[in-house]
Amino acid sequence: MSKILRVNMNDMDYKWEEVPKKYSTYAGRAMTTAIVHDEVEATCDPLRENNKVVVSPGLLAGTPAPSSGRISFGGKSPLTGTIKEANAGGLSGTRLGNLGIRAIVIEGMPETKKDWYSLYVSKDDVELLKTNDYAGIGLYDLIGRVWKKYDTRPGIVGCGVAGQRKNKSAGIFGNNIENTDPGRYAGRGGLGAVLGSKRLVAIISDDKGADRPKPKDKDLFDEGRKKLAEALDEHPVTGKLEDDDGNPYGGLKNYGTNVLMNILNEAGGLPSRGFSSGRFNGASKISGEAVHELVDKTKKKFGDKAEGMYGHPCHPGCIMACSNVVPYEKTGKAHVSPLEYESAWSLGTNLVIDNLEHVAELNRLCNDLGLDTIEAGNTIAMFMESGQIDYGDGEAAIKLLKEAYKEDSVVGKLISSGAKIAGETFGVTRIPVVKGQSLPAYDPRPIRGIGVTYATSTMGADHTSGYTIAAEILGIKGDVSDPREMKKAELSRNFQATTAYIDSSGYCLFIAFAILDIDKGFEGMTQTVNGFLGDEVDVTKYGLKVLEMERDFNRNAGFTKEDDRLPEFFRTEPLPPHDVTFDVPDDELDAVYKDM
Amino acid sequence: MKLYATLRCFAPEGTEIGESFPVEIDDGTVKQVLSKLGISEERAKIIMVNGVRVKDADAPLKEGDLLVVFPPVGGG
Ligand code: SF4
Repeated sequence: MSKILRVNMNDMDYKWEEVPKKYSTYAGRAMTTAIVHDEVEATCDPLRENNKVVVSPGLLAGTPAPSSGRISFGGKSPLTGTIKEANAGGLSGTRLGNLGIRAIVIEGMPETKKDWYSLYVSKDDVELLKTNDYAGIGLYDLIGRVWKKYDTRPGIVGCGVAGQRKNKSAGIFGNNIENTDPGRYAGRGGLGAVLGSKRLVAIISDDKGADRPKPKDKDLFDEGRKKLAEALDEHPVTGKLEDDDGNPYGGLKNYGTNVLMNILNEAGGLPSRGFSSGRFNGASKISGEAVHELVDKTKKKFGDKAEGMYGHPCHPGCIMACSNVVPYEKTGKAHVSPLEYESAWSLGTNLVIDNLEHVAELNRLCNDLGLDTIEAGNTIAMFMESGQIDYGDGEAAIKLLKEAYKEDSVVGKLISSGAKIAGETFGVTRIPVVKGQSLPAYDPRPIRGIGVTYATSTMGADHTSGYTIAAEILGIKGDVSDPREMKKAELSRNFQATTAYIDSSGYCLFIAFAILDIDKGFEGMTQTVNGFLGDEVDVTKYGLKVLEMERDFNRNAGFTKEDDRLPEFFRTEPLPPHDVTFDVPDDELDAVYKDM
Repeated sequence: MKLYATLRCFAPEGTEIGESFPVEIDDGTVKQVLSKLGISEERAKIIMVNGVRVKDADAPLKEGDLLVVFPPVGGG
């Protein structure tokens, strides 16, 4: 039986609730969005007691459906002022799914701001523990301490020092399957700071003795999951590691998401030097191919002792396994896991840093501090743009980021507060943000569809909310030669709706590469969802409903269509090498959500 | 020409990631280059000539063009 756990931090109490009928098909993003929309005052201060953090495992988390163990977090974002959903892999989605928990709602905050707490949830037990020893420490240390205390391999999510200090770039971390890295981040939008404002450091989930969730229509569910697994295995993006001759085959398993670095570079859409060039000479050195080579090299040299990996799953049951472990070249030991495309871009390319070890170190620091890598990289870029440190100086960037450990460092606070605040503080007029959230790794000038998504997304600039890159650059679902031929608004809206559905199902968004190309994969996805619910859900309608609630929240928070715009410099500064500006007219941007 | 990801094994040995190598052909189309290197058209999913994506392998080439080919890939 699935249920909702409501935790009140005012009086340190909790209660169980049935899932209300109107939420019966909701989980993941749909659930976090519905609860935030229905219960949180849109005009509230995100860091005061009226905001809530909602945690919801995807609908199929814990089931044997492939790659379905994602977990969503929602609330009002202190970074953007909009509604926010951020999702991640890690262990906690599966653990909470197995415990039959559809959502945890964390509300209120303790009156005295003295102690730090952790929430422990298991099959028969819920406890709010005073855990001052988990606060003020690095997250690698924290996850180690938790597993030392509990020998049941629990899932852990929570906030690091950045969140505890209510800094706006703070993400929500999650431990990986092996508990070697806190790098499974629901990074965007500063939800870590909301958790910190509630004095909650960690949510520990232990599913020992719990049964896997059972689908209502098992035959339909099983038929669906087989179809989807076949589609994922077949597709060259999501498929197996090697072909029959032993050559690398599946793109994600071999190179991870960072396979995109070289493509975007060759296409001239890779933002570098603070969004002033579409190409970066050093891109190949920090690309997925480079990590692949480094892993192979260290494996050869250190044999069994080598810890580097590709084809690494971020949660139990992911068969696409796009994650990796980047090793130190000198010792073969693990440096950071994972190094994703977005992070290699924000902490490398965008800062003109082409030293893979420096980039991995910056990422490790973000993971340890509890910072969103995309926001942190864009913030460092503001320090570079204003000449505080130089573009390309990896060592200076590392030193700067380490300031964030010090509780009394003003620079440390600034570096943890996002690109907008840092950029404005330094008088920078090229701040790449929409609704206060900084842009990810695709320049909207040569790739206009993603620009439409950045501008209109309910989340602030976010690539995952409508990943038009799949069609525009990667040729998934049809050929696109000249992006100008496409109706951008239509493309972006369709992707945004389908994405909202996938973000609710528990499936990783990357199944999209296979299901958009292979019909039986799409069928498999819907059959598993419908089979699990014993109900029929329409993908687009479901997705649009989620978007509608998000738009409604944002409208009530004071957002208008004038907020659905890119910063001015994207319209006025042409981006080399193609020398184009973002020229999608405002009325086309407004067309995306004309009726919402 | 540049080859990336799973197509790197078709480049001359010792070619660095992101390094270009010359290919000489008689007939000037992408198709000709692919068949010379033994790359099936199916695997040549993303083709760029001088940084601009082209739709198919019949696209013409002239001397000095930079041809970049990727297999099907995705990420995000
Ligand atoms: S494809 Fe990658 S990000 Fe998605 S669930 Fe699998 S390992 Fe995680």
